[in-house]
Amino acid sequence: MRNHNNFIKQLIIGIIVIFILSILINNLTVNLIRTDMGLSFKWLLQPSGFAVSESTVPFKPSDSYAWALFNGWLNSLKVIVCGLAIATLLGIIAGTSRFNSNLLVRFIARTYVALVRQIPLLIQLLFWYFVAFLSLSENPLKIINGILEISNQGVYLFGLNLSLEFSALLLGLSVFTGASISEVVRGGLNSVPKGQWEAFRSIGLSEGDGMRKIVLPQALPAILPGLTSQYLNLAKNSTLAIAIGYSDIYAISDTTITQTGRAIEGFIILLISFIIVNLIITNSMELITSFLVKDTGK
Amino acid sequence: MEIAIKAKDIVKSYDKANLALDNVSLNVFTGEVLVIMGPSGSGKSTLIRTFNGLESIDRGRLEILGLHLDENQDEKQIRKIRRRVGMVFQQFNLFPHLTILENITIAPIKVQKRSSIESEITAKELLKQMGIYEQINKYPNQLSGGQQQRVAIARALALKPEIMLFDEPTSALDPERVKEVLDAIRNLANKGMTMVVVTHEIDFAKEVADRVVFMDEGKIVETSSPQNFFSNATEERSRRFLNQMM
Amino acid sequence: MFLERRSIKQLKKELASSPMDTLLTIVIISLFTWVVSKSIHWILFVADWEVITHNIPLYLFGSYPKEQLWRPLSWITILSALTIVTLIGGKKIARKKFLPLIWLSMIPIGIVFIAGGLGIYPVPSRYWGGITLTLLLTIFSAVLSLPIGIILAFGRRSELKFLRFISKTYIDVIRAMPLIAVLFFGQLLIPLFLPVGLEINRVLRAVFAFAIFTGAYVAEDIRGGLQAIPPTQQEAALALGLSSRQTLQIIILPQALMTALPALTNQAIGLLQNTSLMAILGLVELLGISRSLLANPSFIGKYLEVYSWLAIVYWIICTCMALLSRQIEQSLSTSSINNI
Repeated sequence: MRNHNNFIKQLIIGIIVIFILSILINNLTVNLIRTDMGLSFKWLLQPSGFAVSESTVPFKPSDSYAWALFNGWLNSLKVIVCGLAIATLLGIIAGTSRFNSNLLVRFIARTYVALVRQIPLLIQLLFWYFVAFLSLSENPLKIINGILEISNQGVYLFGLNLSLEFSALLLGLSVFTGASISEVVRGGLNSVPKGQWEAFRSIGLSEGDGMRKIVLPQALPAILPGLTSQYLNLAKNSTLAIAIGYSDIYAISDTTITQTGRAIEGFIILLISFIIVNLIITNSMELITSFLVKDTGK
Repeated sequence: MEIAIKAKDIVKSYDKANLALDNVSLNVFTGEVLVIMGPSGSGKSTLIRTFNGLESIDRGRLEILGLHLDENQDEKQIRKIRRRVGMVFQQFNLFPHLTILENITIAPIKVQKRSSIESEITAKELLKQMGIYEQINKYPNQLSGGQQQRVAIARALALKPEIMLFDEPTSALDPERVKEVLDAIRNLANKGMTMVVVTHEIDFAKEVADRVVFMDEGKIVETSSPQNFFSNATEERSRRFLNQMM
Repeated sequence: MFLERRSIKQLKKELASSPMDTLLTIVIISLFTWVVSKSIHWILFVADWEVITHNIPLYLFGSYPKEQLWRPLSWITILSALTIVTLIGGKKIARKKFLPLIWLSMIPIGIVFIAGGLGIYPVPSRYWGGITLTLLLTIFSAVLSLPIGIILAFGRRSELKFLRFISKTYIDVIRAMPLIAVLFFGQLLIPLFLPVGLEINRVLRAVFAFAIFTGAYVAEDIRGGLQAIPPTQQEAALALGLSSRQTLQIIILPQALMTALPALTNQAIGLLQNTSLMAILGLVELLGISRSLLANPSFIGKYLEVYSWLAIVYWIICTCMALLSRQIEQSLSTSSINNI
């Protein structure tokens, strides 16, 4: 009786969904026919004809759209991976600082989070790009001579020349995500029983050693899931690159769609490339989790 | 005597290996207080929960106030039964987002479509009887366990049920709070309410029960008067259980 | 933290427990002083605030017709007054049932005031801008995303396999997409899926795209709230004879929403911040209007002034929202659910 009812309900919902979808698809086909465009991916192999400001792999305008998109995807990956590393570092420093014995250290960590999390990332990116980097002079500001030099032409670090766009995006993303990660870390540390702090102090460990060797490892199971979702956010947020002219996958899709008018195909390609990025992140995090958490016996 | 609940050959299993209810047959008479005892996992909670359709059955027949139930869960029939059968749970299960008054009036208003004024009058009357009238505008988590359980009883009574089911109503209470809840249940018994009570309170059972049913491993092991059951239980399993309890 | 009274002894322990700690304290204080004095010096003497002061109406309302300015102005005034009353009024006011109703009524009022209609002179959406548009986008999208989220959340735990599948697919796909992509394709694709001849304006398209996006996140928050409700609540409701639908409406959903409230307000704050993305797609909300001002030859190069100003405005609005939500949370937690 019950299963019978369920079946009928499923059928009805199925019909409604198919009905709505078919209306949408019908409208879509009508619109596509009207504008004389069927669905097709052939254009991917045509030469793109545009130049890309930043390329991870060799790229010239006569190369295909597919190659341009792949290039953008690699550019995205580059900034995401670097961003993950820096944001994690920042987040751990800021998160553990919330438990520092020094009042001022705690205050600064709190201010960092309260400030960064309540201002839109896009504004922060524009700020880093237009204010912090573009307003620099042409003469390199030599922070550490021969290792780190910054000018309005770019950043020179360990023999690598990083573009301004890349540097601003990387910095903006890292600072923004770092604040969120620090909250994840703080939550994780809070989940460790207070007795553990007293215990490591009572056996004479320093605050830093106690944090690194005793508390942080125990907080990891609580931290890692939150970390994964922050990493996914960082990956998605990296698409704001377009606002400061960094050629990531989204920026190149955008140009491609504007040139070819292939919005739906572009959407599908972007979706797939993001699903791949997400899979890379979640799978690596699962690997890291199983590696880090397995010996606590859980 | 009139039969309020008639259970015939009830079978219920959660997994293939074990039967939660193994061919249970039982009659509850109108105006009777039936106490069900037994070790945990014996199926007593499952049984009482089949009486208002919270637990479906795999085989057998139930007749509750003349309404039939079988393995086909007939939602309409179940709702008809629930309107006439009240239930009180071990964990009170009050609605935390509603005030005490709203907890009690919600079913009369929404289920029986009574006016809110009428429902409030009934609710206030019940709260007075339960001795918790002062708590009327508080929220459940501001009350003690004993008070919450009395609200739960009032909530069930607000529908003017013909049968009341109690599923270990005092098990989640602090020892010093047990008495106030048992007193409330005893008052109900004295008014002639048909009741099925799952409990571990032996003194209560001795005093209030008309019959005691002992269950173990999904079966009814023994049914007798409280005098017989507590002084000379016939079955070995019952005696072992009573020894542990006393 | 600084407001708590501390004895000198405590302060010494907090600031100078060891030589290293003392050094750290000194370094931080001198850095902090340097940054603050530099900033104050810049704000007072170096910065040229004309780009802000001359354009306040633009930041507030965009290029809304001058003679109609009273409309968005009064809407924003009512909104701010309501915020202040809610914040200051404390528990007494927060408990009142009419408060949420007034908040909800701000939406139709906003539509009528800003778009016109009902006998009021209509103003097309291309003239909407500034903070008005930012708030409009935020509030409309938030209100629209809530029912989407609720439906999806229940869909995900429905006993119907097909419904579960659709809901889960929707949530997963949307959550995999970057917002800017959803917005961009919202502008491009929504017209493609509509029947020929039916056109909706860019603001409305943006609202739909935001709602489609945020709905997936809201669904997950509400699902979390639903999971936090013990199954015994449903049992108790059913045992009282309430129907499944009544149980859902009266018992389950209110509790789930209350539990999910902190997460939901975070979504709302995120949504407000995210409306800035529409600047990339050509709407002149708060950030968009600023960018067009920066492109104006008379204000060229005033990046620092404009972006600092924007940061402050967003920070204030977002912090207010965070405080508001804490206020609501507290008034709810005294009444009920958080200590089940």
